[in-house]
Amino acid sequence: MKNSIIKTVSTLGLASAFFVLSSFVKETEVSYKCMIQMTNYTGEKAYVVVSLINPDGTYEKTLYVQGDDKEWFPDLKNWWEFSDGTKENVDAISGATIGNGERNIISLGFNAAHIDAGYKVRFESAVENQEYYAVDAEIPLNSATIKEKVDGKGYIRYIRMVPNR
Amino acid sequence: MIVSVWRYSHLLFAIISSIFLLIASITGVILAVEPISNKIEPYSISGADALSLAETLENLNAKYEEILAVSRDRNGFISVTAILDGKNEAFYVDPFTGEKLGALLQKKPLFQFATNLHRSLFLKSTGRFLIGLASFLLILITISGIVLIAKRQGGYRQFFAPVVRENFSQYNHVVYARFSLIPLLVLAITGVYLSLLRFDVIPDTQVALQVDFDSIQEEPFKEYTEFDLFKTTPLSELRELEYPFSEFVEDYYIIRLKNKEVYLNQVTGDVLAEEKYPTVQVMSSWATVLHTGEGSILWSIVLGLGSLAIPFLTVTGFIVYFKRPKTKIKNTYNKNEGTYVVLVGTEGGTTLQFAQEFHKQLLSIGKKSHLALMNQYTHFKKMEHLIVITATYGQGEAPASAEKFVQLVKKYPQKQAFDFSVVGFGSTAYPNFCQFAYETHEVLEASNNSTALQEVFTVNDQSFEAFNNWCATWSKKAGLNILLEKPKLATNSLPPSTFEVINKAEIPEDDTFLLSLKNLNGSKPISGDLLSVIPEEGARERLYSIGKLNAETLLISIRRHEQGLCSNYLHQLGQNEKLSATVVGNRNFHFPKNAKKTIFIATGTGIGPFLGMIKENTRKKEIHLYWGARTTNSFNLYKDYIDKALQDGKLTNFKTAYSRNQPEKIYVQHLIQRDKELFLEVLKKKGCIMICGSIAMQKEVLQELQQLCNEHLGKDLSHYQNRKQIKMDCY
Repeated sequence: MKNSIIKTVSTLGLASAFFVLSSFVKETEVSYKCMIQMTNYTGEKAYVVVSLINPDGTYEKTLYVQGDDKEWFPDLKNWWEFSDGTKENVDAISGATIGNGERNIISLGFNAAHIDAGYKVRFESAVENQEYYAVDAEIPLNSATIKEKVDGKGYIRYIRMVPNR
Repeated sequence: MIVSVWRYSHLLFAIISSIFLLIASITGVILAVEPISNKIEPYSISGADALSLAETLENLNAKYEEILAVSRDRNGFISVTAILDGKNEAFYVDPFTGEKLGALLQKKPLFQFATNLHRSLFLKSTGRFLIGLASFLLILITISGIVLIAKRQGGYRQFFAPVVRENFSQYNHVVYARFSLIPLLVLAITGVYLSLLRFDVIPDTQVALQVDFDSIQEEPFKEYTEFDLFKTTPLSELRELEYPFSEFVEDYYIIRLKNKEVYLNQVTGDVLAEEKYPTVQVMSSWATVLHTGEGSILWSIVLGLGSLAIPFLTVTGFIVYFKRPKTKIKNTYNKNEGTYVVLVGTEGGTTLQFAQEFHKQLLSIGKKSHLALMNQYTHFKKMEHLIVITATYGQGEAPASAEKFVQLVKKYPQKQAFDFSVVGFGSTAYPNFCQFAYETHEVLEASNNSTALQEVFTVNDQSFEAFNNWCATWSKKAGLNILLEKPKLATNSLPPSTFEVINKAEIPEDDTFLLSLKNLNGSKPISGDLLSVIPEEGARERLYSIGKLNAETLLISIRRHEQGLCSNYLHQLGQNEKLSATVVGNRNFHFPKNAKKTIFIATGTGIGPFLGMIKENTRKKEIHLYWGARTTNSFNLYKDYIDKALQDGKLTNFKTAYSRNQPEKIYVQHLIQRDKELFLEVLKKKGCIMICGSIAMQKEVLQELQQLCNEHLGKDLSHYQNRKQIKMDCY
C-alpha cells in the first residue's frame, strides 16, 4: 500500500518536474543572417553594438559587439550604461572592427517568442573622436518586414537581414 | 656656439623627440615579438598556396553548411567565417580538408597595451600627433646622423670603415648607428606615412565598385567550381572572399585579391565589376608590412633590433654630448685691436679648450689677444702674430668651424706683416693625421705678408704635455714667457696616497735617476699608470709612468731638469722620506693580456714602466725591448733589472741604440728597418708595440712603422692603432 503511494507521488513529481523544466528548454531559437554595410566615412574603424530592445524601449540583451578593444566600449554611452550594469559577458559575442565602406555579415539569434511581439534590434555606433549615434539603425523584429533593407543614419549605410538556412 | 649645423640639428631633434622615441622604441621592441609569435603558430598548411580558389571553396563547402567568408592573412594562414548552429564562428582551417585548426589569434593584452601606447600614448589624437611628429624627427635625426658618420669617416665610401675609438659612448654610438640606420629610417618613414594616413593628409582612397544591377544575368547557370576566376586564381593571391549574402542574383561574391577587387555573379560567374587597387592603398599595405614586420620573422627581428638601438643611441648620444667640453668665446679685444690673433678649428669643442687656455695666458701677461673661429678669418688690422690651432676631421678635411678658412685666407690678404704658427690636433689613429693643419700652413705661407714662425706642430690625443711643449718653443720665439694651466678634463684619478722612498739610483752625468717607492696605502696601480706629483702648492702637476716591481714597490725613472721644479723636488728626497702623490689610471698603456709577442720601444727614462711590465711577465711571453740612450754608460742605471730579466726568461731580447757611442748617430727608429721581419710579424699576428719616451722619438718611430705597413702589409698604420696593437705614452 505504502509502496504504491510512494510510486504514485514520485511519478507525479517526476512528471511535473519534467513539465516545469521542459517549459524552459522549449524556448526555440530563431537565427537570422545580418549584413552591416558601412558608409564611406573618414576616420578610425567604427564600433557597432547590436542590442535587443524590449517593447518598453529599454535594453534587454546584447546580441553582438563589433569591436575588439574594450577601451572604447564606454564611447557607446547608452549601451555601456546598460551592459556595464548587467556585467554581461560580451567576449563570446564580439567580433573585429570594420572600417569605412566595408561590410560585415553576422548571425543573430533570437528567442522565437520575441518575434512579432514588439521587440526591436538596435544598432548603435561610435568612432574615435567623432560623433556617437545612439540609434544608427533599428529594425522591428517583425517576420513580415524584417527582410526589408533598413538605411542607417550614421556610419551604417544599411542593414539587411534574412533567416538562416 | 653652433659648431656644426648637422651636429646641432642632430642633437636638437634628439632632445625634442627623445621621450616619445623612447616610449615608441620600447613598445616597438615588444611589438616586434607579436608577428613572430603569430607566424610560428601551426596554422600554415604546406602546399595550400597552390590550391585554386575553386578547389578551396569546394573543400570548405563540403565541410560547412553556411560560410560567410574565407580569408588568407599575411602569415599565409587560411581562415573561415561561418555560421555554425546559428552562431558566428571564425577559425583557421586546413584548406584541403576543411578541418578546423584553431580559433583566430587574439591580440594578447600585453600587445594591445603596447600597441595603444605605441600609437597614441593613451592620449588619443594628441598622442597620435606627437608620435607622428617624433617619427618625422626620427627621419631628420637619421639623415643628419648619416651625414655626421660620413663626415667622421671621411666620406660615404668609408662609411663602413673601422671606427676610431675615442671612448665607449662615442665608439658604440657610431658603430650601432651604422647598423641600425636602415631599419630606423624605414620605421621612421613608414611611421610618418601611417600617421599621415590616419590624419587623412594622405587620402585613404577606397575601391568603390559600382554594379549595374539592371544588366545582371540569371543565366546560363554555372557551377561555382567552373567559374574562370576561381579556377585560375591560386589561394596565394587571396586576401578575402565574401560569399553572396543571399541566394538572390543581386547578391554577389566579393573577392579581394592582392592587387584588385572583383565582384562575381553568383549564378553565371560573370565579372560584375573589377578594379585594381589604387597606388595609395598598395603603398599603405607595404608601409604597414614594413612598419610592423607582419608575416616575416626575419624582418620582425631586424625591426626589433632597430627599435632596441634607439634607447641605446639616445643614451650614448647624450653622454657624448654632455662629456664634450662646452666653451664660449669671449673677447676683451675685438678683431681690429688684437695684435695676437688665435684662430681655432674645431668640430666638437675640445681643441677650443686648448686655444682658450693659450689665449687666456696671452691676456694675463698683458697681450692684446683676440680669439676666433677659423671661419671668422678676415682683415685683422693690428695682427702681428697669428696662431692657428686646428683639429682635422674625417679623412683630412677641415672641421666644421674651419670649412671656409682656405677661401677666406685668399679673400682677405693682410695689409701688414705678420708671423704665423700652426698647431694641429688629432689622433695618429686616423690615417691622415693633422692633414688639415698642414694644409692651413701651406695656405698661410702662400698668403701676403706672412712669415712662418715654425713648422706645423702636431698634438696627438689631446696631449697637454705636447701642447705645452709647443707653447714653450713658440713663446721663446715670440719673446714671451707663457705658462699654461692644464685644462680640467675629467680624469679618473684616485685620492692622493703616501709613498716612502726606499731607494734612489743615479747617473749624475746623464741627469737621470731611478726612485723606488713603497706604496704605503690605498692605491693599486698597474705598470703603465701614471703618478701625478705636485711638488708644492699651486705648482703644476707632473706625470711619471709607473713601473710596478711587486705589490708594494713602484719604480719611476726621472730626468732631472736644471730648473725643473718637480724633478728637483723628487731628486732631493732622501731615503725613507715620504711623498704624497696621486695614481692616475692610464688604461691605454697597460701590458696587453692577449698578445703573444710584444715589442717595447723606449728612449731614456721611458724605460721605466717597461721594467715593471717585464718584472710581471711571469708567464714568460715573448718580449723584445728596444732602448735608445746617449751612451752605454746610461745603461748602468737599469743594468741589474735587465740582466735579471734576461736570465729569468722574462725578457726575450734587449736591443740598444746609443746615439753618442760612434760618430754617426743611431736611434731606436733605425733598428726598426733592421729588424723589420720581427715588426711585421708582430703586426700581422695581433701582437703589440708599445712606445714610451719623447714625442720626437714617437714621431720617428711611427713614420718607420707607417712605411713598413705601406710597403709590406698593404694597410695603413691606423688600422693597427685602431686594433690597439700600438700603444703610446709619450711626452
